[in-house]
Amino acid sequence: MVTLKASVQTADDKRFLDITLESGAVRIPISDDNPNQVKSAFNRLIERIKSGAFIIELDEVGDDLFSQVANEYIGQLNKEIQEVREEMKKFKLVGEDES
Amino acid sequence: MRIDIHTHTARCKSGDAPTREISAPDFCEKILSTDVGIVAITNHNFFDLEQYRVIERGLGASAQVWPGVELDIVEEGVRGHLIVIVSPARSEDFSAAVTALTGGSTPDGFFGTIEQVLAHFEPLEPIYVAHYRQKKPNLSENALDMLLAGTRYPQRVIKEVTNSISAGIYISHGHPSIYGSDVQDWSDYDEIARNLPELRLPVDSFEHFCFLLEKDQATINTALDRKTVEEVVLQPFEDESFLKLKVFNDINVVFGAKGTGKSCILRAIARHYSENGLDARVYEPGSDRLNEIFDIRGKDLQINLVPYGVHYCSDEIEAVRAAKEAEVTSLSKYVTYFASKSTNRNAKLVLLKDIDPEEDGPSKRDFLDAVEAVEKTSAYLTFLESNDAARTVLTEPERDELLRLLSAFLKALQAKAWSTFVAWKEVALLKAAVTLFRKEVERKTGTPAKPTTTGFRRYGANRNKIAGSVAAILKSIDTAIPPIIATIGTLGKNKGTLELRTEFYFQNGNVTDGELLSLGGPKKSTQKKFAAQVRLIHGRVYSDDLFQCIARLREIEDVEGIKTVYELVLFKKYFALDGRAYEPSSGEASMVMLQEELARDADVYILDEPERSLGNEYISDVIVPLINERARAGKRVFISTHDANIAVRTLPYSSVYRSHDHDGYKTYVGNPFTNRLLNTSDESDHLDWRIVSMRTLEGGPAAFGERGRIYGHT
Repeated sequence: MVTLKASVQTADDKRFLDITLESGAVRIPISDDNPNQVKSAFNRLIERIKSGAFIIELDEVGDDLFSQVANEYIGQLNKEIQEVREEMKKFKLVGEDES
Repeated sequence: MRIDIHTHTARCKSGDAPTREISAPDFCEKILSTDVGIVAITNHNFFDLEQYRVIERGLGASAQVWPGVELDIVEEGVRGHLIVIVSPARSEDFSAAVTALTGGSTPDGFFGTIEQVLAHFEPLEPIYVAHYRQKKPNLSENALDMLLAGTRYPQRVIKEVTNSISAGIYISHGHPSIYGSDVQDWSDYDEIARNLPELRLPVDSFEHFCFLLEKDQATINTALDRKTVEEVVLQPFEDESFLKLKVFNDINVVFGAKGTGKSCILRAIARHYSENGLDARVYEPGSDRLNEIFDIRGKDLQINLVPYGVHYCSDEIEAVRAAKEAEVTSLSKYVTYFASKSTNRNAKLVLLKDIDPEEDGPSKRDFLDAVEAVEKTSAYLTFLESNDAARTVLTEPERDELLRLLSAFLKALQAKAWSTFVAWKEVALLKAAVTLFRKEVERKTGTPAKPTTTGFRRYGANRNKIAGSVAAILKSIDTAIPPIIATIGTLGKNKGTLELRTEFYFQNGNVTDGELLSLGGPKKSTQKKFAAQVRLIHGRVYSDDLFQCIARLREIEDVEGIKTVYELVLFKKYFALDGRAYEPSSGEASMVMLQEELARDADVYILDEPERSLGNEYISDVIVPLINERARAGKRVFISTHDANIAVRTLPYSSVYRSHDHDGYKTYVGNPFTNRLLNTSDESDHLDWRIVSMRTLEGGPAAFGERGRIYGHT
């Protein structure tokens, strides 16, 4: 299974969780509530599911608040990604043979 | 049933082709493979009694074979051929008579005279069939006169001509005429037999045939009465006078000049049968009604899409239209949770809240799969036990073994269903407990609980549901439905067969044919916009602007009229010739409407001047055979006509002739077999059927020219 790297990034005093896809980074805001940006990131993750199974792994899990948030979030996200992928297989939205 | 009064089985004369010779078994096989029910063997100057008997036995009751001979006659130096046919009961005497006449001559060397023929055959009460005019070598007029003068049965002297047209022409001039195959090559006989004269009245025997030739009234009436006859009393006219008609479950024709009340009689006949509970209506040609009759605008057109593998997609369309975005979990909840991780002692003791619950979706899916397997296996077992075919195809031990295995399989599946149910509930209950405890700790301590989901699963499931629905809709509307092609009828030999083609298409967003009509109701523009928008949504399911696309779908005018893919069906219904669209002329429209009427399954057909707008050739080649076919099937057919093609060529069992002169209206009834028409009000007033029909009907002489193929009025 492919492992995609993720990291907590800071820009303009805001924190983001960046997940590095083959097509470029997906950015999820942590310090701001921005549901549309989260949804947009989810759309890209679903599109990525079509290309094959993957798991997201956080680089350098620190003790700071945002590292803990990102770690927890990615843990849950990985589980949910597998579930969505199973469902997509069932609906034949992805091929059965892709791993 | 057809008759062939002139066949050869032997190559008797040196000029005879070898292909004329046929063995008795082959002869029988040939005759039985055709519609020929009466055949006369007429070899040149020769009769083979032994072969005749073999053939007679070979044909049995399936066909009659009459003994005959084709003699070379010379009178005043002119040679001609004369066929003599006698009753099968006299075959032995006939053989002796032929031998006596031909003496020691070979078939090649024999020549006889009329006097000799009469002397040898007259005691056998034969039928004489003389080669006439174009049928070479023909008997001279003088020889024919001698024959007619010398025979006791002048009505049994028939003129053999070359074909049906000649026979008809001679009949119309009062000469009893017929034609036979005079077969030259037996390999062509199947084709030749199709054009031999057809017997309109049943002929039981040679003697019966002779009675019909002599127009014996009793014999004709007996033959006619083999059909179902009924007497109907009508009140067709305004003067409320009664008209009593003898009608047959065969062809009954009403003819006469325009304005003599023929249509009134037909309407009265329709009323009579309707009142007696039969489906009876008067067919009147009307080319302008063609499109209406065949529902070209598709007013009553429907199609069941299931046989084409099309899913109607009502749930899917509703799902797309009603789709809403699934919300995601705000990340601030995570931040808040970690920022204010509870320090409450009691809260810390509740460890359950800190468990990361599993998602219950996969275990639920496992359980549902197992349940489906249990249900289907169980249903299959029940089917095996109850279905006779399934039960009997195996031996008892085999069946027991199969049932044992399947029962064990079912038991294992039931165990699997139970274990997956337990696993699912375990996860679900734990998840529910974690969620509950988190909420309770949050409520009691005032600190937020850790979110249980990012919302990705819910979000993805929502998008997947939309994707599945849209894919199902597109799969349905991308299905090609083959056209439905119905044969309407023939437009005549040269033109071909008219078809009614109904083409169905789904509006898939790209269909632009202006000739297509909407089947399901919504406007074509609505259909097109809807399909195009669904296709757009399909490409945007995992895009940020998905719900803008869905909103635009909802905004399409009258879109609520599209509840299933049936409302996206377009159709085109049109007439076609050779696969191409074709607009029938008014005459052609009449043709197909009449064929449609005659193709209807009914007991009574009432046709008012069906010939209107139709050509003679079409009436002869298509309509007359159709009418005859209905009559053969025992249907009552009533036809009012001005057209001799119909009145003469169908040889109606009953004819009603209406006339009008200075004495008023008169009604005559009769038939072509007796050649008489009797005034229904004055028995002393009778007319000649042939002369009246020749005079009254359009195309009379021409019609007679072709009716010779049908025996009955010789």
